[in-house]
Amino acid sequence: MTGPLPAPAPVPVPGEDDLGWRRMHPVTPAVKGWKVLVAVIAVIAWNAADEVRDLAELLGARVWLFVAGAIVLAALIGFGYSAVAWRMTRFAVTDEAVHLRTGVLFRQQRQARLDRLQAVDVVQPLLARVLGLAELRLEVAGGAGSAVSLAFLRESEAEQLRAELLARAAGVHRGRRPAAAAGAPAVVAEPVPAADGSVPATGAATEPVAVPGEGVPVGAGAPAGAPGADDGPWDDGPAPVAPERPVYEVPVGRLLVSTLRSAATVWLVLLLVVLAVVVVTTGELGSAFAVLPPLLGMASYTWTRFNRGANFRAAISPDGIRLRHGLTESRAQTVPPGRVQAVQLTQGLLWRGPDWWRVEINVAGYGSATDQNQTENVLLPVGTREDALLALWLVLPDLGTDDPRALVDAGLTGREEDGGWAVAPRRSRWLDPVGWRRHGVTVTDRALVLRSGVLVRRLVVVPHERTQSLTLAQGPLQRRLGLASFQLQSTPGPVTPAVQHLDERVAAGLMDEQATRARTARAGAGPEQWMRRA
Amino acid sequence: MTTPDGDAVAPPQPDAVPAPATAPVRESEPFEPAGVAWTPVSPRLATARLVVGLIWLGVPLLGFALAAVLSPIVWFWIPAGVFALLALWTAWLVPRQVRALGYAERADDLLLRKGILFRSMVVVPYGRMQYVDVSAGPLARKLGIASVQLHTASPGTDASIDGLPTAEAARLRDQLASRGEARLAGL
Repeated sequence: MTGPLPAPAPVPVPGEDDLGWRRMHPVTPAVKGWKVLVAVIAVIAWNAADEVRDLAELLGARVWLFVAGAIVLAALIGFGYSAVAWRMTRFAVTDEAVHLRTGVLFRQQRQARLDRLQAVDVVQPLLARVLGLAELRLEVAGGAGSAVSLAFLRESEAEQLRAELLARAAGVHRGRRPAAAAGAPAVVAEPVPAADGSVPATGAATEPVAVPGEGVPVGAGAPAGAPGADDGPWDDGPAPVAPERPVYEVPVGRLLVSTLRSAATVWLVLLLVVLAVVVVTTGELGSAFAVLPPLLGMASYTWTRFNRGANFRAAISPDGIRLRHGLTESRAQTVPPGRVQAVQLTQGLLWRGPDWWRVEINVAGYGSATDQNQTENVLLPVGTREDALLALWLVLPDLGTDDPRALVDAGLTGREEDGGWAVAPRRSRWLDPVGWRRHGVTVTDRALVLRSGVLVRRLVVVPHERTQSLTLAQGPLQRRLGLASFQLQSTPGPVTPAVQHLDERVAAGLMDEQATRARTARAGAGPEQWMRRA
Repeated sequence: MTTPDGDAVAPPQPDAVPAPATAPVRESEPFEPAGVAWTPVSPRLATARLVVGLIWLGVPLLGFALAAVLSPIVWFWIPAGVFALLALWTAWLVPRQVRALGYAERADDLLLRKGILFRSMVVVPYGRMQYVDVSAGPLARKLGIASVQLHTASPGTDASIDGLPTAEAARLRDQLASRGEARLAGL
């Protein structure tokens, strides 16, 4: 924890310490207040509906006056609270961390270390989008609720801040001011002039010397947005926004069709058939209302899935993977290199015809939120096999094999041992009569590749250096058959890498080897600050 | 290095620590890696678990037995007998389970094993540890044992060692912490 901590003063004044505290955009309370207003009205409507009705009878004609008064009161509470909360919220950015102070009654100061940054999201709910505001979410690997949310900032400011944070997290020190920069650990690197010809002003600051992957100089991007004259904690201009190259996008038509070709739709149709049968046989329409809640639930599920996956575009930049999506609420995610812990490609039964795949990732910060419909972990909502391969390439440019295409094809649909797959032996059909043909695992130089699922096909890829721990398990039946299951623990997320019912000796050998491979890969893995070469 | 079915694969990082040559298919018992000396946990853990288990089973057993003795209903002997059988089974099972627990500190990772009918073995690399918990309840304190739990970035890592003598728990904690620090790798 470097950087001086501010004194716990009750009302922090900007500039009282050298962190350069800043406030959110002043319109924030107006945007956030609506939520409180709606919540207050909803709570009253749910809990006190009867009392309100009694009151309405009592008041007679003046009821509308009363309703208007209640709404004004709720609005006052909502906007008033948001305004106070806004006053108490401020943030600061240093070379090592982002500090955030919140709370009206219960104060909280949160510090997110930039070298532990897992992802940066720019989220724009509909209202904020209309007003040109955006929320900046910094995900650190602290489990659910550990994200640092800066809401709301001006859109350009949010994007500028994102570029700045990513540059700092990458180990490219911009040098906030000479005093702070001098205290930072020096990097051995020769200063390279940026593409626009300017050389960094402060001496202790360094420019990046190497960019992973495409050889795009980080300074080549046009600086986005001018820094505010009064709010900038940086002395030497804005960090350049890393240039990005689009990789794939999801057409709306395909998303729509794929959403309709999902299990939810099958259930919906089944439900409607059952409903029709019930209504016809009993002749009562009343029973139709019983299916309304599940119907609404499924409709909302389908809509949410479509809404969040719409306009899906993926791009690659030196800062990592860029994902943009969302119809009403738009979200732009940046996952820096080496932050993806595991990838999973899945294909449901109804997607088999057009050969569509869904790609999901484990990123430490995103965690496994309770929301089943979350899209933070989605790398590709629906795509052809080519798109899925591209998505996999985004995460692992080098799969560590001569013929990645053949490997992935065998993993997606294959059932045989060809191409170096260790598969579940035939005797495992007693334990898994349908799925046993697909259980398999193979190893490349860079990753462990696991496949499973006959009906819902699944392929999981885990880079060796992202192995958290390994488990070998065997139940009594497996023991009789000489089988064992192998699991690899990853960070929380939709991907759980495991392969069932391998031959016990193969599984044990795999465990021994994988422990060694993971260790070797970790020793050779790049630094957390991905632009920094030690 | 080879894949499990024998295809030759180049080592991932030729300049990094050379990996010991392991056979692709291990010839020894799957749950007995070669060259690993398992450290058993303290047998006092069996005492601790038995005390807890027998309290849970003993109270209803006594209740039903009393009811059977005091009331004219003979049927109360049936649940009493069931609980007595369960208690006997627990008394037989728990010491065996405790004997099946073990751990081994290797150069780069910690090995844990447990279970007889449902066996499992976990490998936790020291560099993946995020923090270590040492805990002991009142009964465990009385018996001089504690449990050490390792946490990685994955909630799925089931790596806790129950029933370590207190001194050994402290040593292991410090050992794990220092080894973790030496091999620390982000996530």
